[in-house]
Amino acid sequence: MLAGDVRFLIFTAIGLAAFPLALHAVGGYGGLATQICILSVAAIGFNVLLGYAGMLSYGHAMFYGGGGYLAAILLMRAMPAHPNLWLAVLGATIATAALALAIGSVTVRLYGIYFALLTLAFAQMVFFIVEQGGEITGGDDGLQSFPNALLPIGPWSIDLTAPVPPIDMGPLGTVSDLKLWYVFAAIVLLLVLWFTRALTRSQFGEVLGAIRENEERSLFVGFNAATYRLAAFAISGALTGFAGAMRALYDGTVAVDSLGIDRSGSFVIYTIVGGVQTVFGPVVGTAIIVYLENVLSGVTPLWRLIEGLIFIAAIVFLPSGIVGTLGGRGKRGRRALFGALRARPATGVAPPAGPAPAAVDVPRETNA
Amino acid sequence: MDAILETRGLGKSFGHFAAAADIDFRVAPGELRAVIGPNGAGKTTFFNLIAGTIAPTSGTISFKERDVTRTSGTRRVHFGLAKAFQTANLYGDQTVHQNCRLAALAHVQGPFAPQVFRRSKRLRTVDDIAERALSRLELDELADVRAGDLSHGDKKRLDIAVALATEPEILLLDEPVAGMSRDEARKTEALIRRLASEMTVLIIEHDMDLIMGISDSITVLHQGRVLATGTPGEIRENPNVQEAYLGGHSQEEMHA
Repeated sequence: MLAGDVRFLIFTAIGLAAFPLALHAVGGYGGLATQICILSVAAIGFNVLLGYAGMLSYGHAMFYGGGGYLAAILLMRAMPAHPNLWLAVLGATIATAALALAIGSVTVRLYGIYFALLTLAFAQMVFFIVEQGGEITGGDDGLQSFPNALLPIGPWSIDLTAPVPPIDMGPLGTVSDLKLWYVFAAIVLLLVLWFTRALTRSQFGEVLGAIRENEERSLFVGFNAATYRLAAFAISGALTGFAGAMRALYDGTVAVDSLGIDRSGSFVIYTIVGGVQTVFGPVVGTAIIVYLENVLSGVTPLWRLIEGLIFIAAIVFLPSGIVGTLGGRGKRGRRALFGALRARPATGVAPPAGPAPAAVDVPRETNA
Repeated sequence: MDAILETRGLGKSFGHFAAAADIDFRVAPGELRAVIGPNGAGKTTFFNLIAGTIAPTSGTISFKERDVTRTSGTRRVHFGLAKAFQTANLYGDQTVHQNCRLAALAHVQGPFAPQVFRRSKRLRTVDDIAERALSRLELDELADVRAGDLSHGDKKRLDIAVALATEPEILLLDEPVAGMSRDEARKTEALIRRLASEMTVLIIEHDMDLIMGISDSITVLHQGRVLATGTPGEIRENPNVQEAYLGGHSQEEMHA
């Protein structure tokens, strides 16, 4: 591991340790910190696709909700006696990756708005299948009160619902409502951030960026663009499905709204507000929007309007999002968003500035 | 000698319009072959069929005795057939060096390499190939310039360098000097001449001075078909070729 990785992990770990304390100081509760960590993982998965592959999915709830349902069904049907959190989460993640591969093999042939609409169509399809799923999915009611999965580590089985000892912050009060779930979710988020950072700097990320910038050229230097796009779709879907599985186990319940269009839209908002094409953007965007939703939705019924205004303001004034703008990306995020909306593969050929040069076709000698 | 590239009965129809028809074409290894023809003769269609940008509606293409008729353009690059674009098609935001590096990376790592942890920086061979491609097109001094900021002529040369970084055995050039100033064109001509001593080159070009000066042999297309193939001297004297060219032009141009 490189020194840069170690520094990244240490500073991020400090940030994640301080986060629930800061959230407490502004009136958030312990469970909110855990929810933000888990939703952040889903938004990071979404950003792998939007930011790094340049594809705007409007159906990522199918992976989020899908991961949740799969984890719940695994717990209830496959291991009711010995609920194992690892097996439930990893099983659901692998299954969502397979789902993403299957759906991606159809959708990655499309670009821009056509791609977005087709992912939306698939997500709606998944939504209705689950809603009509009868006993297996619980239909409209979803699945409730499935067994509390324990986290086996070595000889121990850890119950994540156990409380974290109270943390006294002096004049800022005492944080006493944190569960071990937060520690687990924060460690998971830390590892996902580290993975994403490595991914975007890797050879895979480099080629993905090349295809995003100029797919036509990439094909003719020998990169199989469709396979790279499919791989990005699968990684993205798996990360979001992983988050969905965690959320279902954390909540102890899973409902059809986790598969809905609002959920898909929320990942778009989190990512763009926080900063597309940045490692931390989705986390910051998720934290801000989820926190505001939690605070404001109790105060005013106009919360959704405020959320919409924040989203519009971000696109107009901070197209690189909060993290991107602070990181000096200026308006570069706007190009990333426009690129993801372009309905055809990217090419590096600039449109002709003037009339094409007149073709001089006549061999000089025969003309003379 | 065995042909490195061969087409038999190659054709491409768009509806009832045959943009290319019944093209039998052979290029020997090491040859510098030009394809010329009046506007609308099917040169670009033919070029795109060879490169794999479009699929033919009839006939076959073989490369090194391997049938590549149904092989994608991406795969053909890995077989050793690379093309430079008519309008320079680059990674405008990347440096000149990185443009070639990406092509070299594709060559070394193959069409799909899910290296999600390893960075490509450590692949020395990739850098070596990229640097060699740049120096062959005399772009070394511009290696750190953003490709989008290059002059028109340098962009076109970089496009050739990118194709070269895939280490091809045959290089397809689509109007490599189009839009260049006379000096740039002359410089590029000298570079192409040097490349042609190391590999097979297939060139489509309007510039007759260039074609007559550097080609080993010339194929003339007319109305989507092969009209003549021969040395520059033979093509110049061929009455059918003269007829096709003069016939393809308007009255004003003829009297000009």
